[in-house]
Amino acid sequence: MSTAAPGECLLEARGVTRRFGGLVAVDAVDLAVRRGSVHGLIGPNGAGKTTLLNLIAGVHRVGSGLLRFAAQDITRDSTAKRARAGIRRTFQNLKLFGEMTALENAAIGLHAQTHGGFFDAVFSTPRHRREERSIADRSMAALHFVGLAGLAQARADSLAYGHRRLLEIARAIVARPALLLLDEPAAGLNVTEAAHVSDLIARIRDEGTTVVLVEHHMDVVMRVSDEITVLNYGRRLAHGTPAQIQEHPAVIEAYLGRAAETDRAQA
Amino acid sequence: MGALSLSQFIDLVVGGLAIGCVYSLIALGFAMIMRATNIIHFAQGEVMMLGCMCGLTSLWLLPALPLPVVIAVGMASSGLIAVAMELAVYRTLRRRRVPIMNIITATVGMSILCINAARIIWGSEPLRFPELFATSAYEFGGVRISPQLFWIMVMGVAIMGALQLFLKHTPTGLAMQAVAQDQEAAQLMGANLTRMMAYTFAISGMMAGAAGIMLGSMFFAFFEMGFITGVKGFVAATLGGLGSIAGAMLGGILFGLIETFSTVFLSSAYKDGIGMILLIGILLVLPSGLVGLWQKRR
Amino acid sequence: MAKAQVTASSDRGAHRRGSVHGAALLVVAALIALPWVEPDKFALHVISLIAIASIAAMGLQVLLGYSGQLSIGQAAFYGIGAYTSAFLTAKLGVPFPLALIGAGVAAAIASLLMVPITRLTGAYLAVATLGFSIIVYLFIKNEEWLTGGSYGFIGIPRAELFGYVLRDPRSSYYLNVGVAAIVYFVFARIEGSRFARAINAIRQDADAARASGIRVTLLKSECFVIAAFVAGLAGSLYAHEVRYLAPNDFTFWKSIEILIMVVIGGVGSLAGAILGAAVVVGLPEYLRAIGDYRMLVFGAILIATMLFGEGGLAALVATLGRRLAVAMRLVPKLPASRKVAQ
Repeated sequence: MSTAAPGECLLEARGVTRRFGGLVAVDAVDLAVRRGSVHGLIGPNGAGKTTLLNLIAGVHRVGSGLLRFAAQDITRDSTAKRARAGIRRTFQNLKLFGEMTALENAAIGLHAQTHGGFFDAVFSTPRHRREERSIADRSMAALHFVGLAGLAQARADSLAYGHRRLLEIARAIVARPALLLLDEPAAGLNVTEAAHVSDLIARIRDEGTTVVLVEHHMDVVMRVSDEITVLNYGRRLAHGTPAQIQEHPAVIEAYLGRAAETDRAQA
Repeated sequence: MGALSLSQFIDLVVGGLAIGCVYSLIALGFAMIMRATNIIHFAQGEVMMLGCMCGLTSLWLLPALPLPVVIAVGMASSGLIAVAMELAVYRTLRRRRVPIMNIITATVGMSILCINAARIIWGSEPLRFPELFATSAYEFGGVRISPQLFWIMVMGVAIMGALQLFLKHTPTGLAMQAVAQDQEAAQLMGANLTRMMAYTFAISGMMAGAAGIMLGSMFFAFFEMGFITGVKGFVAATLGGLGSIAGAMLGGILFGLIETFSTVFLSSAYKDGIGMILLIGILLVLPSGLVGLWQKRR
Repeated sequence: MAKAQVTASSDRGAHRRGSVHGAALLVVAALIALPWVEPDKFALHVISLIAIASIAAMGLQVLLGYSGQLSIGQAAFYGIGAYTSAFLTAKLGVPFPLALIGAGVAAAIASLLMVPITRLTGAYLAVATLGFSIIVYLFIKNEEWLTGGSYGFIGIPRAELFGYVLRDPRSSYYLNVGVAAIVYFVFARIEGSRFARAINAIRQDADAARASGIRVTLLKSECFVIAAFVAGLAGSLYAHEVRYLAPNDFTFWKSIEILIMVVIGGVGSLAGAILGAAVVVGLPEYLRAIGDYRMLVFGAILIATMLFGEGGLAALVATLGRRLAVAMRLVPKLPASRKVAQ
């Protein structure tokens, strides 16, 4: 969907700032996400990770700063426009369409790639039939990819939690987006399920999708990320490979410092 | 359209302020319920109407009743009716966590129920209030004001002032505000949610009842009076900033003035239309109302 | 023929849809036969009115049941359609079929004014639609030169198809029921399509829909236009059925009546809209005793439906129908559906 070559910067955030009332949630953050990589975004609670993700997705307006995607300025674009341009996301609190089946949920991800409307449906035009077939096939393929093929006809709100997380991902990848934003995809999952998600993310990357991953599960992040950016108090603290980040003194301090704070508060 | 004479201007201002007080009281009800439950109480206008009807009925039964008592009766009736609505229907729906659309539909159903019950009980003819006020105009430094409008403004301000005192300086009032801001935290502090919700509806109902009697005495009482006035009360609340008590009061007065002055430029046949256009305009352009605008400038 | 399909491939879904459409065809057959079996003029007239009302109700169903937009202003489009058709035929001599379409188009164009409003949600949208319909009502009432104002619009000619004037209740019955059937089948066709999925998604979670690239406001507006168009058609049919229009027929109460039809019938069910129309329009005609208490009863039913059973009449009929079919061994007893996660 995008025109940036592999290795080049697919998503760039420059000096992005966002305030909520008096609180500066994201403070002049720079981010450069290389095409074809999994870019982890970590930091202690309240560091601004999800806010930054929401800014990239277009949920919040950037206060100041610049966002570029595939060499285009998307700073003022709406969420839907960014989605159509190739940025898809999952939500931390799962926003599935509960009354629809898993297959239908995945199919929604393909809405923007197709065109049949009201009249196509009424008159069952060739375009309508062709598209519906294609949507069905591609949605099924996405469910296969995440491991939910057997539950295609199950209502989304009847699925187990772990499967709901997978469905959320399926819906986001069915259109083969250039950029996938994952907001805590492993939240609440057990060790096995989290490992499955790690593998899934790696396979998504191998299929050509660039991933930005916000996650608290350290094993998931460290295992699957190619690079990691660390945020603290809304500011960028560090950037590097997983190995580098794990050794980085400031990062350790940020996490340990927070842990010490919590210990003191509870004492 | 020539220039307005001073006395015409004063008349319009007084009229606008008086009807503005009525709108403010209704708007307050909308705001309080919105803050506490996040729903638009479609039946708020009907609560107003029922308060008016009950007040009028008390006058029929005891013609010598002084005005403050009539208002008290009206306020008590409408307060009770509002609480009944909450306890019988709304609370159950909230507990079941039904989709918001269903709660809104239920309030619409409640509105229909009340209007038609009123039509059956009191008939469909408009009913006049007996003379409650002195007939000769008051004079203030050369300016003549109708006593009716004067007292309506005074009562309106008094009631709103009492409400502010109650909310800010009594334990119950503060508890109600706490519940409106954060239900869970308030409950952890010991607030009884059911009771606070009931109080919220009771007070909104009482405000509406007072407004109903004022409106009824200004014009007349009839079973459908709550409908359009209710919508206008909602317009006022939205203008001020839905969910803001101060905004509701401000919005009511402002809207009353806007509507009254608009009759200078527009045929009175379209007077109701002003409110509707204003409503749509606010929802589209300034959804957080004047209060929201004020807060953004900070 | 194994056609890959996203929707309607689940056993229960296909069964249910198949049986609903089967029942629909049976009903249509019965309706076609009715005037020959029971030609009571009054009954045919009532069914005509029910058919007309159901068209408007089905339009609201698309708005409320499918895309989740509560509009309490449909009477505005109903009225615009009625007066447009009346004006075109009575004052300009336009042939009825064109006036019918013209009524729909006029209402659809008017609904474009609502496009900015479709940004709103929930009760705010509802109140905005209310405001709009009040403005339209005031216009109808005050612009006497166009609508006859409170004096009413008289002298509306009968509907006329290809030179054949529909003089008796039976002919107009076929017209009204025919249009209603067409609207039903058109709307039934979109089930399971990309369009239906998208507006369904918008209803359940507009933000998630946006995140998938769906143009939410555009689709919401489309639904308004569709609903307005059919409300306009209904208005035109109404005008030529009763041949007299008064502003009081197009107040907020008419919008509420249409809402009641949809809610009582079952939000989300097309057949429910028709059932609801049958109850709201048909019942009072046959239960004169209800008369004055009509709206009171409906208000109570509205509240009761919200409290006790959202599926409305459609769900009730479906459950009874299924139980009956199982009892008669027409359909195997399917295992209990998975519990819906709270």
